[in-house]
Amino acid sequence: MKKVILFVSVALISVFSYAQKKTTTSAVINFDATTPLDEYPKAENKTAVAMLNTKKGELSFEATIKNFSFTNPVIQDHFNGEKWMNSDKFPTAVFKGKINNASAVDFSKAGTYSAEISGDLSIKGIAKPVSTKADIVVGADGVISTTAMFNITLADYGIEGGAIKAGKVDDTPSISVSAKF
Amino acid sequence: MKKKIFIGILIVLIAIIPVVWYVFTVTFDNTADVKPDFKVEASAMLGEFIQNEKAANAKYVEKVVEVTGSITAIEKADSTFNIKMEDDSTGSYLIFAFQPDQKDLLNKLKPMQEVVVRASCSGGIYSEILEAHSISFKRSIIVNQ
Repeated sequence: MKKVILFVSVALISVFSYAQKKTTTSAVINFDATTPLDEYPKAENKTAVAMLNTKKGELSFEATIKNFSFTNPVIQDHFNGEKWMNSDKFPTAVFKGKINNASAVDFSKAGTYSAEISGDLSIKGIAKPVSTKADIVVGADGVISTTAMFNITLADYGIEGGAIKAGKVDDTPSISVSAKF
Repeated sequence: MKKKIFIGILIVLIAIIPVVWYVFTVTFDNTADVKPDFKVEASAMLGEFIQNEKAANAKYVEKVVEVTGSITAIEKADSTFNIKMEDDSTGSYLIFAFQPDQKDLLNKLKPMQEVVVRASCSGGIYSEILEAHSISFKRSIIVNQ
């Protein structure tokens, strides 16, 4: 009898934990390094993996670098090249962070919440701290939508070059992330 | 002498300007107009990546691939949809992001439907978050449904 109770307890805990860990494989990340001199260095990745743990207030995402889609093939080649993202060697960008004010977000109640996110963004194997505000919308259907935007400094990740010095690529591009869980 | 220098500069400019113009304005071809480099079943392609990710990436990355498989999920991604072909036993999957002109076709798709998708392969990774292999594609089109 004790074994049955133990088994049921473990099973319930597993199911409950799984329900708190929500994932999507269609998070959208926009990268925008456009300047008044060049409107082309911007791209979109619609297949990023994102995870939200509503219990622990953890948030993470992972994007395949080569799936950032540019309109211009030459710029896409440069983006993936050795001097920029070096995507052959470093195929993903990963963010691992947490919601600092998680207690202010009620994931079981429909509404719009303002969250403070902080964590580390790893690009080219270099992890740098990132903090930003995010909007979390809990729908009446239970769907949780998150959106956040922040800027990165390319030099922090060892990304430099003539196009940046010439003002054709923003040296602090914006990154926006949206995910539905 | 000055006239010759001027003509020389003019010739160089005339030669360079079209190249620069091309580099900054060229766009990707519509995938519908591109002949696929490979035609493969979704399960077979996933198997290649699981068996030897490095070799599979060398073979498929930035190649146009025509994949046949069954849709396991249709996921909203901004104003459009991605389709996913997942192996239930491992959680590993292929995921396709589409060209904007595919929106109407995507609205007609349903889970479990067999489709042929042509797309540019962005390669495969092992997801730390999902603990599963994923192969992602961009600029996809539905070939038939």
